[in-house]
Amino acid sequence: MDTLKENFNKIAAEARREGAKVELLLSGGENLSLGFSQRKLEKFESTQTQMAGLRVILGANQGYAYTENLSEEALLRTYKEALSNAKTLKSSDSTEIPLMKPQNFSVMAELFNPEQVPMDQKMQVAKQLEEVCLNQDQRVQAVPYSSFNEGMGFKRILNSEGLDQQYKQNYYSGYSYPLAKDGESSKMDGESFFARSFKDIHAEEVAKEGVRKAVSRLGAQKLKTGNYAVVISRDQFPMVMMMFASYLSAKEVHEGKSLFKGKLQQKIASDKFQVVDDPFETRGTAVRPFDSEGAPSQKTTIFEKGVLKNYLTNLEYATKMKLPHTAHASRSPASSMDISPTNLVVEKGTKSLQQLLEKYDKVVYLTEFSAGLHSGYKESTGDISMPAEGFLYENGKLVAPIDQFVVSGNILDLLRDIEELGNEYAKPGSSFICPDVLVKTMSFAGA
Amino acid sequence: MIVSQNVLEKALDAALSTGADFADIFIEDTYSSQLSILSQKPETAIVGQLYGAGVRLFFGHEVVYVTTNDLSEAGLVKAALNAAQSRGQGAAKKSMPLMQVAFDSIHTYGEMPWEIHRDKKFKWLNSLDHHARARNSQVTQVDAMLHEKFQKVQIANSKGLMAYDERAYSRVSCETYVENNGVKESSSERDGHLGTSDVFDRWDLKKLADDCVDRATLLTTAKYAPAGEMPVVIDNSFGGVIFHEACGHGLETTAVAKNASVFCGKLGERIAPECVTAVDDGTMANSWGSLNIDDEGNQTKRTVLIEKGILKSYIVDEMGAKQTGYEKTGSGRRQSYKYAPASRMRNTFIDAGQDSFEDMIRDVDYGLYAKNMGGGSVNPGTGDYNFQVREAYIIRKGRIEEAVKGACLIGRGIDTLGKITKVSNDLRHATGMCGSVSGNIPTCVGQPQILVSSLMVGGRAS
Repeated sequence: MDTLKENFNKIAAEARREGAKVELLLSGGENLSLGFSQRKLEKFESTQTQMAGLRVILGANQGYAYTENLSEEALLRTYKEALSNAKTLKSSDSTEIPLMKPQNFSVMAELFNPEQVPMDQKMQVAKQLEEVCLNQDQRVQAVPYSSFNEGMGFKRILNSEGLDQQYKQNYYSGYSYPLAKDGESSKMDGESFFARSFKDIHAEEVAKEGVRKAVSRLGAQKLKTGNYAVVISRDQFPMVMMMFASYLSAKEVHEGKSLFKGKLQQKIASDKFQVVDDPFETRGTAVRPFDSEGAPSQKTTIFEKGVLKNYLTNLEYATKMKLPHTAHASRSPASSMDISPTNLVVEKGTKSLQQLLEKYDKVVYLTEFSAGLHSGYKESTGDISMPAEGFLYENGKLVAPIDQFVVSGNILDLLRDIEELGNEYAKPGSSFICPDVLVKTMSFAGA
Repeated sequence: MIVSQNVLEKALDAALSTGADFADIFIEDTYSSQLSILSQKPETAIVGQLYGAGVRLFFGHEVVYVTTNDLSEAGLVKAALNAAQSRGQGAAKKSMPLMQVAFDSIHTYGEMPWEIHRDKKFKWLNSLDHHARARNSQVTQVDAMLHEKFQKVQIANSKGLMAYDERAYSRVSCETYVENNGVKESSSERDGHLGTSDVFDRWDLKKLADDCVDRATLLTTAKYAPAGEMPVVIDNSFGGVIFHEACGHGLETTAVAKNASVFCGKLGERIAPECVTAVDDGTMANSWGSLNIDDEGNQTKRTVLIEKGILKSYIVDEMGAKQTGYEKTGSGRRQSYKYAPASRMRNTFIDAGQDSFEDMIRDVDYGLYAKNMGGGSVNPGTGDYNFQVREAYIIRKGRIEEAVKGACLIGRGIDTLGKITKVSNDLRHATGMCGSVSGNIPTCVGQPQILVSSLMVGGRAS
């Protein structure tokens, strides 16, 4: 018996009587997280979550409410709160907000393949992520962050237009971040993994790579303040993608917050910068058969030879702005409807990393943005002032690792100044799939 | 009370059924509301409920943590058994009889968030919009938001502790967009407290909006900050983010117990000049980062971290105390039942000193006055920290001169602490959200103005 559907049908009937439309988004999942510290199991976390979010539409207004209690009584109360919220609002727009009608979508069975992996094997992975680091190099002082995670997530959407669809996915992820010390110099770096099958996890390699990265940064020197060409590593270019991801949202454009407003079909990035939004790319972490209002996923060209080809839309903004509907609705049960990309795939170039590093006399190889966007990126202007670390190369040869510095510029200049892209992608683990990227010049404050 | 004592005792016995040394249960029932306006109209209204429990077990230094949304006796006992059976193989232990922790609430609340009419709440938000647009005709957009949370927590542990508390949180934020001669800028301001939102009837929302607009306007003509090492005067209030990042996180036992902090083993040692006394205080009435009891049921405290430059205490939770032997400081905190607690900051600040702001500016021949700060982060293992400066001025020959933007301050915590040469007598606090292993939690930062003799200013290279 599908209790949720029965309860939702009662709510939908009540909504119709009120002249309202209603949508229920149910999501949640299970997660197991294991972590070792000083060769002993330190953390064993097993969490289960589920939350229902109701969106009630009254003309151009939509109200929201959510609950973790899925009983009939709680869902009905939540619906009434969402309805009451919708009645309070006075949208500045008069366009009626539509709901998705049922449509066929590709099921993407490859996302959900639960495996019966014995607990001792999972423990072994978690253990290796720390222990291999400690054994690998005596300069490893500790491994402050290491974890193995096994996750299962589900999403189900029902609406008063008769739509009822769901998908599940399972995956493994983990990381290993050793702290290395040599004399007065101490550095932390690490490696992470993402896999859809247990057999694709190579914990020892991950830990060894984490150690290699941390140790290679010991003995870092100050970078002389100045302007340098920079290669942003394939692992870190996702941070640059995050800087402009929200500008692609038609909602942000409509509200006047996007720096890409008025730039559709204009060349705003380097010829060599080509980007596609691909919700089917299984290397990425943002794979899904349909978006958060149930619209079937589709590929969308974002940049073609540096020209901005599309804004991302959900049903509301495609209708409101008369733009193609790209199926990029995004929300969690506890948030309002938004628009965001899925996997943004940057087309590879032809050059190896070494060739990029040889391109100028002096090149900064940026291997870590030390903080998130909250600490150094101003979305309203595109100004960048981000703490970072990396290596200095001269004539293609490594000179030295460099201590924390600040890299400054503006996102629009950075996109325009992309000179070359590398010919390899980073390992899976991000929704931004990027090669190494050479940018002609940026400002560096070091010493 | 959310769950009866009898049910908690049964769940704790189930948790100890395979030999755990310690067990606790954190139960939460939280009401949340988020309202916003955009383009002078109510834009978003979301209300919701979190309802769940986290069961935590210690086997030596190993922590097992399990969550559930089922708060019935059967649901809690099942979650506790799952936790126990996932790791333990020892003989069953018995929980101590539960005794309610009695305390007088430090904080006072007004009308509950669900009792205040929504029109009144939108009126506060509309007033922010109104004040912002009245302040300057160049304002092009105003986003204003009201967040309210009312969290009921119940905590019980196998040592016999049982505690219940209610925490109201209210916060308004305002982001204004300005266009001046084709140059667009924005700025945001926020303020809140541990308490109900009726306080916004009395707080000066006009000042909040005015400050926000004035900064955005100033930035439209400001040049980019220079790059290089120089003396920096950091303003009071949110300037305290420097201590939060440069030192505070490194004093949490979450880092110290793993030997992953530059402050490990330095208790009783001088880590800052004599002018620096720093405190982490959970007991300030109705302050954003305050508590009555922490998320492990322990009464919160005022903890002197550094006294006249000497490291006096770390920030210690239950597991941190077990691992390090230091006394608990009532600092076990978490975003919700979905996270196991960790040692976290509350209201953290450098205490008032003896110097005057005017004197410290006069001391600087060429440097930066960092007036308003943004977000930051730290790597506790290396002590490398960074934070943004949203509004700054060049100091030349002892005078504050032109405004600059786009500065990021970076350094290594222990080095920066050693370079604090002056601390003013004008201590102020500001609200923030701190993200770490146990989620995002409300914390206050604070300080009087301080002079750091040399700090790396990451602006634009000339």
